[in-house]
Amino acid sequence: MSALLEVSALSKRFSGLVAVNEVSFSIAPGEITGILGPNGAGKTTLFNLLTGFLPIDGGEVRFDGHNLAGLAPHRIVNRGLARTFQLCRPFSGMSAFENVMVGCLAPRVRHREAPETRAREILAAVGLAHRAETKVDVLPYGDLRRLEIARALATRPRLLLLDEPFAGLGSSEIEPLSALIRALHRSEGLTILLIEHRLREFMQLVSRVIAMDFGRIIAVATPEDIVRHPLVIEAYIGRAEDDTTGDALGTA
Amino acid sequence: MRSRPWIFVPLVLAALAALPVIVKSEYLLGILSVCFIYGIWAASWDFMSGLTGRENFGHALFIGAGAYTSAFLNARFALNPWWGLPAGAAMAVLLALVIGFPTLRLRGPYFALAMLAAATIMQRLTLIFWQYSGGEEGIPGLDPLLNSKIGIYYLCLAALVLTTAALLLLARSHGGLLLRGIRGDEAACQAAGIDVTFYKIAALVVSAACAGMGGVLYAHYQEAVTPDVFSVALSISIIIMVYVGGIGTIYGPAVGAILLALLPELLRGLGQYRLWAYSVVLIFILFFAPGGLVAPLWRRAVGLAR
Repeated sequence: MSALLEVSALSKRFSGLVAVNEVSFSIAPGEITGILGPNGAGKTTLFNLLTGFLPIDGGEVRFDGHNLAGLAPHRIVNRGLARTFQLCRPFSGMSAFENVMVGCLAPRVRHREAPETRAREILAAVGLAHRAETKVDVLPYGDLRRLEIARALATRPRLLLLDEPFAGLGSSEIEPLSALIRALHRSEGLTILLIEHRLREFMQLVSRVIAMDFGRIIAVATPEDIVRHPLVIEAYIGRAEDDTTGDALGTA
Repeated sequence: MRSRPWIFVPLVLAALAALPVIVKSEYLLGILSVCFIYGIWAASWDFMSGLTGRENFGHALFIGAGAYTSAFLNARFALNPWWGLPAGAAMAVLLALVIGFPTLRLRGPYFALAMLAAATIMQRLTLIFWQYSGGEEGIPGLDPLLNSKIGIYYLCLAALVLTTAALLLLARSHGGLLLRGIRGDEAACQAAGIDVTFYKIAALVVSAACAGMGGVLYAHYQEAVTPDVFSVALSISIIIMVYVGGIGTIYGPAVGAILLALLPELLRGLGQYRLWAYSVVLIFILFFAPGGLVAPLWRRAVGLAR
């Protein structure tokens, strides 16, 4: 099976600081891959490079065999690579339905099916059907998180990048959202790459983890193995003396 | 009865259509004709800037482009003034593309400032190239579009109603939804696969075409054109009209513009205190109705939320 996303030697510098340093990895269709790393490791910058929101300084991103270098963000989305933002970015003053409609009007999907029908379907799929006509300005944060995913789904992505989908949610809200992501993965065959800090939920969701620190990939392993990886432990809590660090990471 | 206020729309239009039969004052009809033209300018400003949130500080650029283009063709080449409508709109669209392409792909204040600068530069150019543009005096002696004041009144009314209806339809279409999305969050719109630069430029082109045609109507109503059509004062007063009407609603600014353009005439009895009173009224409106006056009242009347 050939890779859906292939990243090779990808780099980004911000005036001296190397935010993403020669990062290479690939993602197979149907996978849920997680990116792990402390704050400032370059995870969100990596997402911005993959989705065209930041220009690439070096290296290459190939999606479905095509080089994405220099493409505007909306063109990348229309090739089937969508993203969500770490902070919810709803269109204020508009209803939940209208928010999803914007994604349904992307050229990639606009002519395939009626945007209104599709928007209703997606709202139902993420459990927001009852909020369709509610203005996003009064939606609770948990619903905004779902809406953020709904808008990205509206563009019928083949690969969905989720930037901290659980950020700002209470534990009671995380489990249903996590179940939603799993359900989308199963039913739509969606390939997912996600960044998350909530380790317990993260580890249950992903089948493979890419660990980053200081802009570099320091380890790639299964969720079980990654928390025992010496470089990962070091990145999170400094050099460890004994084996109890697995507990500190919340998964052992 | 939720729909009762809708009755007022055809009633008001019928009243405006019947007015020349009742009121024989050509002076009043002339004032109203100009009010309708202001309505076109405010609605067209709102279509671009109210929907996308990208403020335009130089709408007069499009107005002046339309007015001077038509004046040139009419005065120098003796062209029928009706040709000025497409020609003036085309010139405004051309300028919209020249300014929109470089500035609307950027975020930040570049578009607003470029519009302000371009309108000011055009005003200066009319003075510098006075041999062609007539300088301060402009180009007098233009042919009117119609020979009767009543005809012009109906022409301006029809132009306003058609423009407002067309812009409203566009604003409520899928494209209009995307323009409001751009106002909400441009990056999120891109992340939803929307080419935001294309939609912003398209909105500006539509806005410019309407404003340019309004400029042509104005030039031939006055039967003259002066550099004032490029003035900052005109641009700013249009923005004030939009805010009083209710930004982002199209119909609100159209009605707000008529009311505000009429206000100085209504205050004429106050003599020298007229401008003073006008300013006080404006400050009160903006202070007590920051969301505008016309659109919020209308929404309350028809029972829409907020």
